[in-house]
Amino acid sequence: MPTSDRQLTDVDRVVMKRILDLIIPAVDDLPGAGGLGLAERVERGSMRYGRLRSGMLSILDAMTLDIASRVEGGFAALDEERQIASVKTVEADLPVQFSEFVELVYETYYTDSRVHERIGWVGRPPQPEGFDIGSWDPSILENARKREPFWRKVE
Amino acid sequence: MIVGAGASGAAVAWRLAQAGFSVVCLEQGRWINPSLYPTDDKNWEILGRHEWNWDPNKRGNPEDYPVNDAESDISPLMFAAVGGSTIHWTAHTPRFHPSDFRVKSLDGVADDWPITYDDLDTYYDMNDMMMGCSGINGDPAVPPRSPRPMPPIPLGKDGAHMAAAFERLGWHWWPSDNYMNSMPYKGRDACNYCGRVGFGCTRKAKSSTDVNYWPEAVRLGAVVKTHARVSEITVGANGRATGANYFDRAGNAKHQAARSVVMAGNGIGTPRLLLMSKSDAHPDGLLNSSGLVGKNLMFHPYSITTGLIPDLSETWQGPMGNILMSQEFYETDPKRDFVRGYAYQMNRGTGPLGTALGGAHEPVTWGAGHHEDFSERFGHNVVLAGIGEDLPEEHNTVTLDDRLTDSNGLPAPKINYTLSENSRRLMDHSVKSATTVLREAGATRVMANPLLRSGGWHLMGTARMGDDPERSVVDQWCQSHDADNVFVVDGSVFVTAGAVNPTPTLQAIALRAADYIVHERDDLKG
Repeated sequence: MPTSDRQLTDVDRVVMKRILDLIIPAVDDLPGAGGLGLAERVERGSMRYGRLRSGMLSILDAMTLDIASRVEGGFAALDEERQIASVKTVEADLPVQFSEFVELVYETYYTDSRVHERIGWVGRPPQPEGFDIGSWDPSILENARKREPFWRKVE
Repeated sequence: MIVGAGASGAAVAWRLAQAGFSVVCLEQGRWINPSLYPTDDKNWEILGRHEWNWDPNKRGNPEDYPVNDAESDISPLMFAAVGGSTIHWTAHTPRFHPSDFRVKSLDGVADDWPITYDDLDTYYDMNDMMMGCSGINGDPAVPPRSPRPMPPIPLGKDGAHMAAAFERLGWHWWPSDNYMNSMPYKGRDACNYCGRVGFGCTRKAKSSTDVNYWPEAVRLGAVVKTHARVSEITVGANGRATGANYFDRAGNAKHQAARSVVMAGNGIGTPRLLLMSKSDAHPDGLLNSSGLVGKNLMFHPYSITTGLIPDLSETWQGPMGNILMSQEFYETDPKRDFVRGYAYQMNRGTGPLGTALGGAHEPVTWGAGHHEDFSERFGHNVVLAGIGEDLPEEHNTVTLDDRLTDSNGLPAPKINYTLSENSRRLMDHSVKSATTVLREAGATRVMANPLLRSGGWHLMGTARMGDDPERSVVDQWCQSHDADNVFVVDGSVFVTAGAVNPTPTLQAIALRAADYIVHERDDLKG
């Protein structure tokens, strides 16, 4: 288990950018999560919540240590198919940590304004504007009111 | 003296202060300014998962006590503040049915309550007026009752869509009763349907006791001591309560003297404190001569069935959980393989992050299928939450953990809870029926979770009421059998759980207990 105060290395950052693109690939005219430049925000986000940072470091350690020892150039030198296979291996080996890492990536990606624009989200907090859902229409109960009372009587 | 400033403690404080009693409340949390709630923060979804999480173990604020829930099928949820869990509840407020108080007589299971629905009717009404209830009469699933002070919350397009599906199946549905303002009420704004009621309401449109009961109680002279964590209820040689020891914010040990003690710390906090309060007069913990303090813990098990309905869009607009309910399967039916029943509460979708993380289901898949999976869910998801009636079992317990402690070094509660076979069957049935409705509504994909582990909103049964001191902890007036100046007024006193959110019922019970003190226990007035 890595210590949560370990700093990321340049190799870590290269690996993380690539993993981010694999977790959330490009879509339409939007690059993947790595291409959007979210690696730095993921790292910053991990500083705020120790549990998520620990998960992130565990995954990066697993990726760099495992792959770098077997392939010249490390994870980044693998083709995409093998990169995906490698990430899936780590996911299987460290399911809890991988889940926490994905949580961190999603927290970063789905709070980005460029993503909000693409998916049609209002891109603002719920307050103070709220939403308009129309007004109460009592006629909608016309059928429901026809049913006889069916609650269970007691002595 | 009241321990705990949540739903029930607030109701008692108001009623006693109104009658001229001297009231002091010890609350381990703080007063929260509603403007601090995260719903107007651009990072609201992230804050809701961490600093404002429903789970005290994930929130981890100094005023929270940790809960060892490793041996529990359900994780308890609660909030420590003036207002308690009404800060983060969804304010869905149906009442118990008359049958809920008579399950032994009707179905041969558990025990009957020592009170009836009629005993609480007046207090339900009183509470509805204080909290502010939106809803409408005529529901065939429940007894006739007084009109609510406000009309229902609009159903929205998605609510109307689901109502039509229930009707095509011939199944009951009705607009949810709730403590949210459909119009301005008692100086609080009308709801603007932001939907994120679970994070606290910046407009005070969602009712919580810090914005209704407590301001009134304080105006009448009640005192709330915040950051006051009670470590022990103290007793005299005769076994009667004399007050409480507590830690203040700086960790200083203090004592609050009192003529009587009203426990309102929820179905886990109250037994925890009673078990911590051992003395010569009460060697197994205060009020525990029956051995039942901390036993018979009940949650409401929740199933979550989510339908993805292409015909609907933007299902994140509107209140998260106060739309409609169905009580089609509420009562025992001998043709089913379980006793008692369940209700449905319709919930809406959530924001982008909540959708991606899956809520009660698996997160959106990572990798090649990510965007397709997300698009299928986002804005098209409608939830039917099945809330089941849990039955009391003595092996489901709250005890004191021998290692885990809170920030004052006091033992944390440990939960041992196993979902019963009856509840499991009931939950399975709720998933099956919910799937039928969602398919009828046009769902092209249905995701089901037959037991939401992180769904322990309702904490009940751990200091049950009854007439027999050997089989109960308090009597029908919430007065303990063991010490006549100690009362328990929270969900701990529930004999059974019903299949609806418990807060209106526990507040009605608390108001009834307060009336008993006012009219029958003048000796406690100080």
